[in-house]
Order: sequence, then C-alpha cells, then structure tokens
Amino acid sequence: MATTFADQLRSLPDEALGALIQLRPDLVVPVPADISALAVRAQSRNSVARCLDGLDEFTLTVLDAARLTRSADTALTSVEAIIELAGDVPADDVRLAIERLRTRFLLHGPEDGLQVVGAVDEVTSPYPAGLGRPADFLDPQAAALCADRAKLRRTVLAAPPGARAVLDRLAAGPPIGALTRDAVAEPVRWLVDQHVLVPVSEAGRMPRPDGELVELPREIGMLLRRETGPLGVLRPAAPVPGGPARNPQAADSAGAGQTMEAVRAAEAVLESLATEPAPVLRAGGLGVRDLKRVAKAAGVDEAGAALLVEITYAAGLLGESENGQNQDNFLPTGAYDLWRATGIAHRWATLARSWLAMTRQPGLVGRRDERDRPINALAPDAERAGAPQARREALTALAELGPGAAPTTDDLLELLAWQAPRRARGREPAHRDAYAGAAMLGITGLGALTSYARLLLTDTGPDDGDPLGVHPEDAHTDAVRALDHLLPAPVDHILVQADLTVIVPGPPEPDLATELDVLADPESAGAASVFRVTPASVRRALDVGYQAADLHALFRRRSRTPVPQTLTYLIDDAARRHGGLRSGSAGSYLRSDDEALLAEVVADRRLGTLDLRRIAPTVLVSPRPTARLLGALRENGYAPVAEDAGGTTVLSRPKARRAPSRTPRLAEPSGPVLTGPRLAGVVEQLRRGDIATRAARRAPVTVRAAHGQAIPGLTAVQQHTQAMAVLQQAVRDKARVWVGYVDSHGATLSRLVRPVSLSAGYLRAEDERGESLHTFALHRITAAVTEE
Amino acid sequence: MSAGPLIVQSDKTLLLEVDHPDAQACRMAIAPFAELERSPEHVHTYRLTPLGLWNSRAAGHDAESVVDALIKFSRYPVPHALLVDVAETMDRYGRLQLLNDPVHGLVLRGLDKIVLIEVAKSKKLAGMLGSRIDDETIAVHGSERGRLKQALLKLGWPAEDLAGYVDGESHDIALAEDGWTLRSYQQEAVDGFWAGGSGVVVLPCGAGKTLVGAAAMATAKATTLILVTNTVAGRQWKRELLARTTLTEEEIGEYSGERKEIRPVTIATYQVLTSRRGGAFTHLDLFGARDWGLVIYDEVHLLPAPIFRFTADLQARRRLGLTATLVREDGREGDVFSLIGPKRYDAPWKDIESQGWIAPAECVEVRVTLTDAERMSYAVTEAEERYRVAATARTKLPVVKALVNRHPGEQVLVIGGFLDQLHELGEFLDAPIVQGSTTNKERERLFDAFRDGSVRTLVLSKVGNFSIDLPEAAVAIQVSGTFGSRQEEAQRLGRVLRPKGDGRQAHFYTVVSRDTIDTEYAAHRQRFLAEQGYAYKIIDADDVLGPPLPQVD
Repeated sequence: MATTFADQLRSLPDEALGALIQLRPDLVVPVPADISALAVRAQSRNSVARCLDGLDEFTLTVLDAARLTRSADTALTSVEAIIELAGDVPADDVRLAIERLRTRFLLHGPEDGLQVVGAVDEVTSPYPAGLGRPADFLDPQAAALCADRAKLRRTVLAAPPGARAVLDRLAAGPPIGALTRDAVAEPVRWLVDQHVLVPVSEAGRMPRPDGELVELPREIGMLLRRETGPLGVLRPAAPVPGGPARNPQAADSAGAGQTMEAVRAAEAVLESLATEPAPVLRAGGLGVRDLKRVAKAAGVDEAGAALLVEITYAAGLLGESENGQNQDNFLPTGAYDLWRATGIAHRWATLARSWLAMTRQPGLVGRRDERDRPINALAPDAERAGAPQARREALTALAELGPGAAPTTDDLLELLAWQAPRRARGREPAHRDAYAGAAMLGITGLGALTSYARLLLTDTGPDDGDPLGVHPEDAHTDAVRALDHLLPAPVDHILVQADLTVIVPGPPEPDLATELDVLADPESAGAASVFRVTPASVRRALDVGYQAADLHALFRRRSRTPVPQTLTYLIDDAARRHGGLRSGSAGSYLRSDDEALLAEVVADRRLGTLDLRRIAPTVLVSPRPTARLLGALRENGYAPVAEDAGGTTVLSRPKARRAPSRTPRLAEPSGPVLTGPRLAGVVEQLRRGDIATRAARRAPVTVRAAHGQAIPGLTAVQQHTQAMAVLQQAVRDKARVWVGYVDSHGATLSRLVRPVSLSAGYLRAEDERGESLHTFALHRITAAVTEE
Repeated sequence: MSAGPLIVQSDKTLLLEVDHPDAQACRMAIAPFAELERSPEHVHTYRLTPLGLWNSRAAGHDAESVVDALIKFSRYPVPHALLVDVAETMDRYGRLQLLNDPVHGLVLRGLDKIVLIEVAKSKKLAGMLGSRIDDETIAVHGSERGRLKQALLKLGWPAEDLAGYVDGESHDIALAEDGWTLRSYQQEAVDGFWAGGSGVVVLPCGAGKTLVGAAAMATAKATTLILVTNTVAGRQWKRELLARTTLTEEEIGEYSGERKEIRPVTIATYQVLTSRRGGAFTHLDLFGARDWGLVIYDEVHLLPAPIFRFTADLQARRRLGLTATLVREDGREGDVFSLIGPKRYDAPWKDIESQGWIAPAECVEVRVTLTDAERMSYAVTEAEERYRVAATARTKLPVVKALVNRHPGEQVLVIGGFLDQLHELGEFLDAPIVQGSTTNKERERLFDAFRDGSVRTLVLSKVGNFSIDLPEAAVAIQVSGTFGSRQEEAQRLGRVLRPKGDGRQAHFYTVVSRDTIDTEYAAHRQRFLAEQGYAYKIIDADDVLGPPLPQVD
C-alpha cells in the first residue's frame, strides 16, 4: 500500500475534505481530534454502514463489483477492472458511481490501485452482487470443473429442468440455498454430484438434520449470468414510475378540498373526545371502542380516525388529564382552543407539520403485534423512531418527479427501493403509511404532490418546538399562504330558510362560528355548514345571556335573505317561556295570606339581618335557618308559627336551657372480704415469692459469675462439663440446684430448681416457686451449683 | 376557484344555491345521480347515496361524468376522498347481472368472478342461489328474484336486472285525449318509468298522478292491477280511467270488501288484500288471478308490510308506485326502493306550482291562546292525553268558524283527527261529517254534493287524508292530526292543490293551541312541506277573530 488511509485524507484539498464531511456528516460528531482520528472513524463499521444506507442500488452494485475485482494478493482493484465487469453499462455511469464511492472514501487510492474500505465487507452481504465465493475456495473438485470451461458448459446444459431451475434461482442471487424437502432435493442432489453446487456448512453451526446448505461457486454464477452480465441486471438510472400526470391545478384543488376535510375531521375527533372523554388504557393508548365512536362522529373510517388522533396528539392538541377518579382521560388541550381560532390553512399546516415530525406509525393501529394483540391508537406499540425519515423519503421521492406526477404507490415503492435499497428494506409499510396519510391530509391531491405541500416540505419549520404546538410567528409561511389562495375565503353571512335551517355558504369567520355554535345545532359540515335552529338551541342561546331582541338582530344582521316568520316566532316563543319558572335556594321562608303584614316585615329595619326577600306577594324568603327567623320575629313582636315540610303547623313549648343528659359515674363498691383457703393461698404465694427473691439475691457467685466472665481457673467447656456433673448428681440426690442459663432472647438468668431428669439434651426440673415442670436445653446451661 | 352554485359537503350532501345564475344548469347536471332531499326557498339540499349513484349508473352515467359535474359546478375544492368514494361506489354496480339464460332460466352472472364468489358465500343469500353453472354464472330460483335483489343491495353489490319482464295478458288501452293532453312532466314521468321498467313516480298531490298511471297503462297495453288505499279512492280511479282512457265500465273491476270483480283492469284495496281469515291471507290469489302486465301501487308511502312480501314475488311484472311523498313514518323507504323500484321521477312541488299545474297555496298556522281553564286542564293531564286535550280545545271552534267566514263562496274542508271534536265542529258549523263509519254510499253522496257546490263546508276525519278528489276545495282547515305525521300534513295540503278554474290561490290553515304540545307537533308536521318550499305564515287567532283593524294610511 502506497499511502495509508489517513495519509490520503491528509493530502486532500480542503474542498474535498469538506465534501466528504458533507456527505458523511456523522464523521464530525463529535469533531475528531485530528485526521488520524477522522480516518479511524471513516473506516469504522457504524460510519460505513450509515454511508452505505444512503447509496442507490447502482452505486452499491458498483461497490460490489469493486469487491469482486479485488486481486487475491494485493486486495487492490482498478477503475478499468470495474468497468469491464459492469459489461454493457455505459462506462461513464460506472465512472460516476466510482467517483461517488471515492468521494465518500468507501473506495480509496489511485485509479489503478483502488482499495475497498475494510469495514464494507463486514457490514454488507458476504456475497457481493449475489455471487458465491470462488470455486477454489469452496471445493477442489468444483474448482477443477470450473477450470475446464468446456466441461462446465456441457454439465450446465445437461442439467435436467428441475436442476436448471435451481441453478437459475441461485444465479439470480443470493447464491446460497437450503435443502429442506425431499422433492426439491433430487435435482439438487444431481447438481451436488456434478460439483456444480458445493455443500457448505454455516460457520459455527452444526450441519442441519434435514439437509444442508449449498452454494453456487462464483465462476458458475457468472457463467449463468451470461445474458445479463456478471453483475446481474444493472439499472444505472432510477426507474421512472408510470401513472397519469395530473393537471397540477386539479391536484391542488382536490388536495385543498381534502385539507378542509382533514381539518374538519380533526376538529370533529377532538370535539367528540371533549364531549365524552375516552379513558387511557392501562397499557397506554385509546381503546378500540372509543376509536370507533370517534371515527363515527368524525365521519371517517377507523384508520383515518387513528391517524387524526395520533396527529392531534403529536401536535399537542390532545392530551391526557386526570378525571378525579384516578383515571387518565384523553381530552383536547388548551392549545386546541388556540388552534381552532386560527385559519384553516394554518390549522392544516400545524397538523401536517406534526404529522411529518411524529415518531409514530398510525398504519400499525388495528394490526396485531407479535404477541397477536391488537395495537391501539396512541399506544406505545405504534412508536417508530424511523417514521419521520420514512415520510420525508416517501414525499421527497414524489416531489422529485415534478408537479402533477401521480404514480401508483407500488411504483413509488420501487423507486424508493432503488434510491436507497439498504434503507428501504423493511420500511415498505412505513412508506405505504406515509402515502396513505398524505392523501388523507391533502398533502397529495389525486395522487400528486400539491404545490403547497411542496412548500411545506422545503420549509424547515420553526427551529424550536413550541410546547403549545402553536407558532403564531410562522403563521404566514409560504405553504400556508399558498394554501390560503386555494381555500374559500371565510364568510360572515348566513342564509336563513323557512324550514329553520341556517346555511353558512363557506367557512365561517370565527365570530360567526362562535355565534352559531350557541344558537343552532349543526346538521352538515364541509366547505359550507348547515345548522338547524330548534327550540332547544334557542333556549341554549338565551341561557348564555342572549335576549330575544339580540337574537332577532343577530339573524337580521347576518342573514343575506329575509328572516322567515317561523324563525321569528320560534325565538319569541322560546324567549317568552324562558325563565317562566324560577328556581333558587333559601334557608327558610315566611308566608302569609296578609300581604300587608309581609310588607311590614320587609320594611322592619330591626329584621335587616334576616335578609328577607319578597319572591311573591305572599312569600318572603331568607337565607337564614328557620329557628333564627322565628326567634328574630318573636323577639320583635311578631307571632309566627313554624311549618313542617308538609305544611302542617309545628307547635313547640319553650324549653329551659339544659345541658345534654349523661349517666352519672358511681363510686366503686369495696371488694369482697377474703377468707379461708383463698386467703391462705395468697399468703403462700407471697411467701414463695419472697423466698425466690431472696434466693435469687443469694445465687452463688459461681452461677452469677458464669453470666459475665469465666470463672477463674476454668474454661467454658470445663465449666459446662462440671455443671452437667452437678446436675446428674442433683437428679440422683433430688437436691435443689442453682442453674444459670441463657434464654431464647440471649438474656442470662439463674433459677433455683429441683432437677427431675436429664436426658435427650434436656434438663427437666421442678420450679420451687410455681411447682411447675421446666425444661432447659442443656447447651444453654452455663453453670449449676447445688444449693448450700 | 369557480364561483359555482354548488357546495359539496363532506357528509355527501350537496347544497345548491337556487338564486345563482347557473343553478338550473347545475340542477340538470346533478339530478341524475343526487337525490333531492329538501327544497326550501334559497338552498336546496341534494344527497349522494349509493342508491342514487347506482341508479345513475344504471341510466348510463359513469363515475367520470359524476365527478366532472361535481367539480364543474362546485364553488369550493371538492375533497379528494369524496371523489374517490363516488368512483368506487359507482364501480360496484353492474358487476353482477340477473339474466334470463335460454337453458338455465334466471341466472346471476358475475362480470367479476371474485365478487360472485364473495356474494355466493354470504349467508344472507342462502337458499336463493341454485347450482353453480360455470365460473361466472350461478342459477337463481325464479321465485327469489325480488329477495335476491334486496339482499344483494344490502351487501353493497347491486345486481343489474336484465331479466326483463313478462308482457302479461295483452289488453288494448289508449288515452282518450279529447280536449286535453298529458302534461309535459306527466309524460316525462311515464317515460322515465317505462325506460326503467319499474319504479316510483313522486308527484305532488293534485299534480295528476292518476293520469300518470293511466298513461303507463296505455303504454303497457296489458291487463293491470291497481292497488289503492280504500274503496272511495278506487272509485275515483275508476271514474278517472273511464273519463281519460278508452276503457269501458265492463273492463274495470272492483275488488274490495263489497265487490269481488276480476276484470282486465282490476282495482283492489290494500285493506282487502291484507285481511286475514284464520291467520291466512285469503285474497292473495288475486295476484295470480290473471297474467297481469302492470301493477300500480297508489300512495306507495302507505303500502302495508304484507304487500311488500307479496311484491317480492312479483318481480317479473312491471311495477309502478305513485306517491306525493316518499317519506314513510315507519322508515321503510328502502323496501319501497328495492321491491317496487327506484325513484324514476321526482319534481319539486314548487316547480310544478310555478308551472301552474297545482294551485299556489298559502300555508298559515293560526295560533290559539287557550283560556285559563283550558290551560289548567291541559297542565294536569296525563302525558298520553295531552295532545288530545290541546288539539281539541274548544277555543278552536270560533276560530275555525271565523276562518270559514273569511272565505265566503269557497269550498272549505275542515279536517281533524278526533271524532268528538269533529262532531262539535259539525254542529257548530252546521256542516256534514265524513268519518270512518260513514257508508260508502253516503260518502259518495256527500262528496258529489260538495263537488257540485250544494254543500259548502265538509268536516272530514282521517278518511279525508288520501285519495279524495275534490277539485273545487280551495280552503282546508286542519284542527288536529295524527300527532307529528309529516306525510299526513302533505296529503291534507294536497286536498286543496288541484288547480282551480280561475287560478285562485288555495289556503291551508292549521289551528294549533299555543304553548302546548300541539305547537311542537305542528312544527314537526310542517317540516316536510317547509322543505318543499312552503313557507308557513304564523298568525294569531285574535287577528282572525277580531274586527278588521282600521287601516292607517
């Protein structure tokens, strides 16, 4: 090797080094200390894999070609060798691809001494371009067969049809096949016998019991690819998706219609969650039944509802709130009210941006996870970190096709697979999801990307995420402005008809929308809205403070058509009956058939503290309790009588003030006089206790000493042996013994007992005090001394 | 953005602003696929329904033209999803066809094999399909044609019925157009029906539905079974047919409770057909009594449930339904649709009125304030009796009398639902009463007297709701009804809509008790007519009763 990788980097002009860093931005995160460190990083697996992920199918194949053309000894290849291997593909295309690889330093070195970065082999398939390993590496006999071109050709031509199919399959790549079924095994067996296929064992694995792996040697694979070239079918340029080209205006119009629909549906979803909050499931997410309800309320299917719920949550319009019963509910947030006050285009932009950025894959909702449990909306299972990038890839691919292009989703997926095969693998559902979401949100119209969505994609958006999800400062981004031009202008008037329907012929101005929300019930929504005025809705308006005259004036002012008489009557009727019944609460009432008397009471200033209020000619009410009302009236010379709930007079005699009664506590009677045996028993008990106390006080020094320290001259073992001997003697003599022992709590005690038996590790002894039989574990006994 | 007259709503309603210069063109463009739901004065509401879309598909319109019409006339961008939905819905029609196979008889053919497999597996079709003939064809039991169509519609794969109709027994019928001709809309209605094979024609009361029936008979030139609501209506049909067609008295039979004649043209009442003896329908043989070439259902919105069942067996015969309102209080519009047929013709009432074919009508709600005593008795009434108490308030009597006196020299009908009240009214107004218990002979006599003007005021019970042809009635006063029935209201208005000799205006009064449930029901009843563009005027009873206020000029 002429120069090291680091040296090559070092010798690069600044622009080239800058280009490398631009193409592989991960190299400078964090900024390496020097070029050597940069070189190490550029050759690291992670960085190489990341770089490969962004490469298109053709460039990756050219890299495979570079790997294939490496010389066995020097591991170097050259531009010529690669071009030769690429066959029919124009050399310029190959050169460009090589250049792409060289600027990225996946290939490095001079044109005639190109070197593939080592990590490439580690992070890519061991079978470059779907070709197996060379025959001489695999098996000498196969190598011999390959060396004899004519024989190889004959063998391949002689292959029976079944074997030929196997060969074609393996030649297309990957070149490894597993034998699993006997039926397939027969042609393969033939091929193995002819050494066309070589049985291989997977590294580090036991041979499979049901068969084994076979590999097609590289030479034979290249021979079989005669028609397509050794690298297989090469597509130097991206596949061009078919499909109709839409008139960009028509696409914009359909998309704009859809944006209104999406905004309306999102609002309906949130309104439905506001009127009936849905509980957060214990595992997180929104229950299936709630999702169904929301979908129905918004007039969309469940997939659409799941998408909107996810977006509004991501946009911060929907949140969780505790409902007071230790249960979290999904509820619209305060940001929802701000959002609703903005224009449609702006509302849409908020939703669309959140959709682009959210790390969720709503298409997973309703599917089943690996444990076969359904995935709920807003549940953690639908989290996909790669979702935003997948969405951008998908939309960028569509955007690059130019305005009006409306290819099928399958075509687009194929294009994505070409652009970045390593990345697109496994992302197909995410991409499909992205296109479905784009159609639902009106980002695409008639399958083509709309002009305003194009602006949204190029718009980088606000740098810092506003936690409220509202960005007043970017209310007039290009995308919003472009969409605004397509959307109907807000209207401030209504059409009132004799069937009591009110039609807003366009999106209502916020003021008008607020008014109509209160005084009519919505019947149909969309670009325009239809409301119906009902007695209930008029009552609602009266409840919030409108007067009949206000309502008449409002309809007259807003309506472009004469207000029908039926509506006038409806409002007047409702207003007349509104408040016909009054309700309130009072602490007590005062009634009298004598209106003059009541007038006198109201006028009496001494009763001012009662706060009496006249609610009818014959009824006064007071917030004070009845007792106080009665007292105050009587005190001031009136003669009121109390009534119970049924209206019957309640008579009460005046009562002297008394404390609550209680049971008196009597003195204890003196106890019974002790006589006879009981007295004697007591005395004896006393005596015994006394003896024991005195005896304890007199416990011999040896016993007492054994509790604290060793007796001078004796070890603990000797002490114990001695104690056993004393006890055995005492059992025989029936003598009383002082026993020192440790109780189960670890405390040391001494007792005067008369041993009865000594066996099985236990000492049984009579206690002189209680005349009961005690049992001592022998190992707990520390000392024993006969009573002196 | 075009400033078109149409607004497409996301719930698939279409709002058409009628005062817009392009409104007429737009109406023509959307009428084939959208159904007119409401037509009040300023904005008409149409609805896109699967049935409507399939219907237009059957009439040869394709999804592209529907989408074009929507986009062309729409004021605002149309949501993409809605357009997709329209196209997909229309695409479902005609994937299955009902055909007459020369070898296997009635067969269901699937132009899309997968759809055929899907529906064949459905449990709802169990027993209707016979053996599989080949990949694309399944035999169908001939008797199940109606039920199969109903079931397929419910599955969302409506079959195109190409099996045709039996011609029936031929019988020469022609219109006797002496001094009159079929009106243009009547001709359109007949053409629409005939082209579609079977279906319903919706025309306002008084717009000459009987003539549409007669013209259909003249086109079919075959024996005809006419089903009507009651005997009197039947006799009116007979009279009209005698006057307007070449049919003679001997060719028309009446099949009712009184007479059981079966003739080339037979008029039968729903009542006699649905009467049972020992739990069995005894008069069903009528359907098979002759080889009918045409079955006409008068007032199809009143069709009783058993008739639906018989109709399912009549799918091979041409069926014509006639009605003024497809609104059924029992919500069985779908059954009318699948068994009689789709709506073949519909015209807004106001359009016919503006052409002068029905009398212009003024609808007035007269609000009566109850006396305190009446209010009190209303207030303490049990819930189920409240409507009766409110509707039959005596306070209404003088108001009705004042209204009658307002129109001297005009024929007045007083219509109510409670017999006690009608008797009171009869005495108070000194007018004869026609009620359920009145004999047919007596009814005929009274109606004739009313027609020739010797009786000026007639009090009618519910029998007056339908099919009574009293062309000279110019004023109808409604005092009570069947709660909030919308079609009853429309039918009653229809009594006075026959164009008057001198083009006079008709008057339709509803007397209601203020602040009671009567007002609420009245509001509900008026909804249909209000949606048809009749603006109700509300006046106070005092304005009717009191002396005319002095004019201050």
